[in-house]
Amino acid sequence: MFMTVIRSLNEGFLETLKLFAVTLLGALPLGLVISFGSMSRFTPLRWFTRTVVWVVRGTPLMLQLIILFYVPGFVLDSNPWAIENGRFWAAAVAFILNYACYFSEIYRGGIQGVPVGQQEAGQVLGMTKRQIFFKVTLLQMIKRIVPPMSNEVITLVKDTAIARIIAWQELIYAGYAFLKGSHGYAGLMWPLFFTGLYYLAFSGVLTLFFGWLEKKMSYFRS
Amino acid sequence: MKAVRKVLCVVLVLLMAVACFTGCKKENKSDKEYVQEKGVLVVGITDFAPMDYQDEDGNWIGFDADLAKAFAKKLGVKVEFQLIDWDNKAFELEGKAIDVVWNGMTITDKVKAAMDCSNPYCNNQQMVIVKKSVADQYTTKDSVKGLKFAVEEGSAGQEQVEALGAEFTPVADQTAALLEVKAGTADAAVIDSLMAAATVGEGTDYADLMYTVGLNDEQYGVGFRKGSDLVDELNAFFKEYYESGEMLKLAKKYKIVESAIIEQK
Repeated sequence: MFMTVIRSLNEGFLETLKLFAVTLLGALPLGLVISFGSMSRFTPLRWFTRTVVWVVRGTPLMLQLIILFYVPGFVLDSNPWAIENGRFWAAAVAFILNYACYFSEIYRGGIQGVPVGQQEAGQVLGMTKRQIFFKVTLLQMIKRIVPPMSNEVITLVKDTAIARIIAWQELIYAGYAFLKGSHGYAGLMWPLFFTGLYYLAFSGVLTLFFGWLEKKMSYFRS
Repeated sequence: MKAVRKVLCVVLVLLMAVACFTGCKKENKSDKEYVQEKGVLVVGITDFAPMDYQDEDGNWIGFDADLAKAFAKKLGVKVEFQLIDWDNKAFELEGKAIDVVWNGMTITDKVKAAMDCSNPYCNNQQMVIVKKSVADQYTTKDSVKGLKFAVEEGSAGQEQVEALGAEFTPVADQTAALLEVKAGTADAAVIDSLMAAATVGEGTDYADLMYTVGLNDEQYGVGFRKGSDLVDELNAFFKEYYESGEMLKLAKKYKIVESAIIEQK
């Protein structure tokens, strides 16, 4: 019995990891693009971006998942998510958009927190705008945003559980299944609680990683 | 003047967006044609022995699962089982994420409002679950009236408890209701008799719970999208399947008592 449950939980955990990885891969760059939008000097773009960020941050992720996954099927002939792993991709899109918006604000804070004097120094040295951004601002921004980003990333580990609302079978779903009856076992409570260990172990690894990263970046200290 | 033009622009864009959405709205294809064209019948289920559950190799079996396979074969399409969140079953259907809800679903007014149902094919009861230690005090319908219940939100069990006039807390699902009883936060739960037989008692974590009173008699049906022509198709299939004796054979295979199966006419 123990092995059956562990195997099933492992499968669920793998799905959780998949969503976690895909979300980061998508949201880290997208967040930077959004942060540019919200700092743009072109007013309509700035307002548009800020409205999107407001809507995405201002509504529950759970609701966004439900709307994104079900509503297209209400209005169209068939559901566009009716593809292989459609539920996963729907969840991935919702998570990427959601986390990119949170990341964008962290990036914005990081970028605007770099003293103007540094950019001016770059200009004096005859660097191009692009060089100033990548070689001066971005590098220092990365150092500044490590602590708030580690917060968001660890939150993401546990937020992946929300995707079970569109019946995507991640770790919590796998644990819960043994309560209802799965793999020939029903009414088992411990698998659900046992999933906590997976999250705990994974966020432990992440905490160590971010601690290491922060130390690695410390030579930027001014 | 400039402001007016701006507003006009926004309104026009919105109108265009709306026109686009309504423009590409569904053509008049019947549900049967839609499923056959796509070549697969997506069956929405939850893990629910003995109706839909997985064997050791991960294949979906069970009374409902086997029926669904036979029905798909008759339609000439493949079958695909999709685990769903039971709360979202109407969304899943209307959003075309699944084509049918086939999972020991009790036919209630609420269900009938959300989807079109087949003829009933299986009898069920809503059972009161209490702790074993106090079970002998609650053997009649009247004796349980004063208990504090936990029931699945929107379930047939909730309707029964409401009719009983007892105090209750709605929870996420039937197992959560059992959890409440075990944890002592509720005195009793109400769940399906078929499920009660599988989840409560010896060999489960609910060995200290047992079922006592049956509150009602009710029936299971299969749910389709509103206006689907698959309803008639399934009713015809049920009749055929029952008359050939296959349905009772299937019930026997999954240890469902013969009297629970409803004759299909």
